[in-house]
Amino acid sequence: MLEAIGVSKRFGDKLALDGVTLSVEPGEIYCLLGANGAGKTTLINVFLSFLAPTEGEARIDGLDVGRHPIETKQRVAYIPEQIMLYGVLSGLENLRYFAALGTGKKMSRPELLDLLASVGLDEAAAVRRVSTYSKGMRQKVGIAIAMAKQARAFLLDEPTSGLDPKAASEFAQLLRKARDNGVAVLTTTHDLFHAKQTGTRIGIMKAGKLVADLEGADLTDADLEALYLKHMGA
Amino acid sequence: MLRLIAAKDLIEYLRDGRLYLAGGVVLVLLFTALGVGLERHAEVAAERVAAQGLDYDDWLAQPERHPHDAAHQGMHVFKPQSPLAILDPGIDPFVGSTVWLQAHRQSEIKFRPAQDATGLQRFGELSPAWVLQVLGPLVIIVLGFNAFAGEREQGTLRQTLSLGVSPVRLLWGKALALCGCVAMLLVPAAVVIGATMSAANDFSASDTVARFGWLTLGYGLYLGIAAFGVLAVSALASSSRVALVALLGIWIAGVTLVPRAASDFARVWYPSPSRLEFNTALDSALGEASARAWQAEFGVTTRWGTDVPLDRWGQALQLDDNVSYPVVDAHFERLWGTFDRQQALQEWLGLAVPLLAIRAYSMGIAGTDFAHHREFSVAAERQRRTIQDIVSEDLVEHADARGAGHFDYRAPAELWAKVPRFEYRPPSVLWAVRENLLGLSVLAVTFAAAVALAHLAAVRRSRS
Repeated sequence: MLEAIGVSKRFGDKLALDGVTLSVEPGEIYCLLGANGAGKTTLINVFLSFLAPTEGEARIDGLDVGRHPIETKQRVAYIPEQIMLYGVLSGLENLRYFAALGTGKKMSRPELLDLLASVGLDEAAAVRRVSTYSKGMRQKVGIAIAMAKQARAFLLDEPTSGLDPKAASEFAQLLRKARDNGVAVLTTTHDLFHAKQTGTRIGIMKAGKLVADLEGADLTDADLEALYLKHMGA
Repeated sequence: MLRLIAAKDLIEYLRDGRLYLAGGVVLVLLFTALGVGLERHAEVAAERVAAQGLDYDDWLAQPERHPHDAAHQGMHVFKPQSPLAILDPGIDPFVGSTVWLQAHRQSEIKFRPAQDATGLQRFGELSPAWVLQVLGPLVIIVLGFNAFAGEREQGTLRQTLSLGVSPVRLLWGKALALCGCVAMLLVPAAVVIGATMSAANDFSASDTVARFGWLTLGYGLYLGIAAFGVLAVSALASSSRVALVALLGIWIAGVTLVPRAASDFARVWYPSPSRLEFNTALDSALGEASARAWQAEFGVTTRWGTDVPLDRWGQALQLDDNVSYPVVDAHFERLWGTFDRQQALQEWLGLAVPLLAIRAYSMGIAGTDFAHHREFSVAAERQRRTIQDIVSEDLVEHADARGAGHFDYRAPAELWAKVPRFEYRPPSVLWAVRENLLGLSVLAVTFAAAVALAHLAAVRRSRS
């Protein structure tokens, strides 16, 4: 569903991605671990065709994202580290707008409220302007937007950043539910525990390279920590 | 999807107060301008109807008198006022609406400095056209400067594009929102014009409706240029602050500096004579033509000597009139041709500064430009020549050899009735459109260029 084939990205002298090859099949959650600047977000940006690879190719559902930027983005849901919403609109209005843009369909108010409730945002909060929201509340709206899209693949860039532990745990459950429904998930994270908890596969990136590609089920928490620290050069 | 994007942008404009502030100020100015225009239109129309009747009645009511005295009294004729002058008074305030038809000379109303100023002086005058031409783009700038740049800064642009929304659709949705806001400004103008069309005037209601339609098209293109131009700059700018500064710079140059420079440039490129130069050249040409005619007809050039006694005065006047007509026509044709070339040059410059094109087009379609004034002036001159020919013919018929006693001749009142009432039908809307095809074409081409630029900018922005 999600494929990176020898993807490199160069910014001037800096090689942000260096021949990254990975694939995420339907029903898989691929957690990308790595320090800041390892190239995780750059890879997500390549999948979203916000950045064109210097070499290689990224595909979604078999389509080259460079040649089919609109079609491929229509097949994925994206949650960034910081969800950006319209401050003068309420959470409900933001969801209605982005959901309609993403799906081409208008959802009813009860449907929208149900969706927000499922990510932990009640009606009283939903009708408030987003300018009054905390980061976690915004993130919940972002997750609702992604869920509304009912996409076949998720691209998540530090999605639980800013969420409280309860909300993060609920989000992990949502991801597992999506995985069970055959959704392919590529998520970046710094959080080893989150990666171990949700990932069916785990990749470790360093200086733009994918230095490890592991089956999540084969790893213990201790193994993962040791591997991570080894590759980070600690 | 376009409506969805436009509706979201409209809600933002309303909730952050920009639409109320910018649009409110412009609406107040627009209503004020419409009110002033309406009042002026009503006053001028009433005065014109009353004065035209009185003036012709005065002509008919002349007692028995010498025909040449009557010709010197002449009569006034009045230019019909277009209902759309409420929207765009054009050059009317500078050239007036009255022509005095008197003996010997074509009325000087045809040559006023305002004619080649093409509305430059109107920058100090509040009219709905001025509000739309100058403040319309400013409202679009205030509303749209951060359409892309602001969303990029907030991160919402990335959020939107990540959903698979085409940047071109996003562009058109945002353009729809901007144009929707500006369209609201045109509604009051349409209502007022509709109300005035019910009043009797020399422009038919259907003609006025058609002209209003063409005006709407022109302003639609003009404001569309502004909308897509603003969106293009917003998409290209690195930040909303940069976009705002750039757009305000373009606006200031476009509405103040460049139009003045273009007007001066047109006059340098196609020089037109000063009023004094024009009159001197015309008088000289008339003198030469008259001398030649006198030499051919009477064998002398000396006026009213023994060779041409006063009993041939009517014949001499007729001779002078007949030789003067082609000379006057040629001089005015040359002058008007220069004005036309100056005007066309400014309209071409509208490709870079659309204000120049819409200003000329707006006046032209509203019926308040120089071309309409010229049509009226030509008709008025025809009437003057009719009067002149009638009285000169009468003098020829009643010539006698009584020397100074010649002036004792009194024409009967029936002679005055031979002069028909001045009837003038303004040119049709099709004529006006033909006259202004250049301006309309310039607006259409510039609009297409602005749309293309905005497309490129939006697509470029979606990739970075």
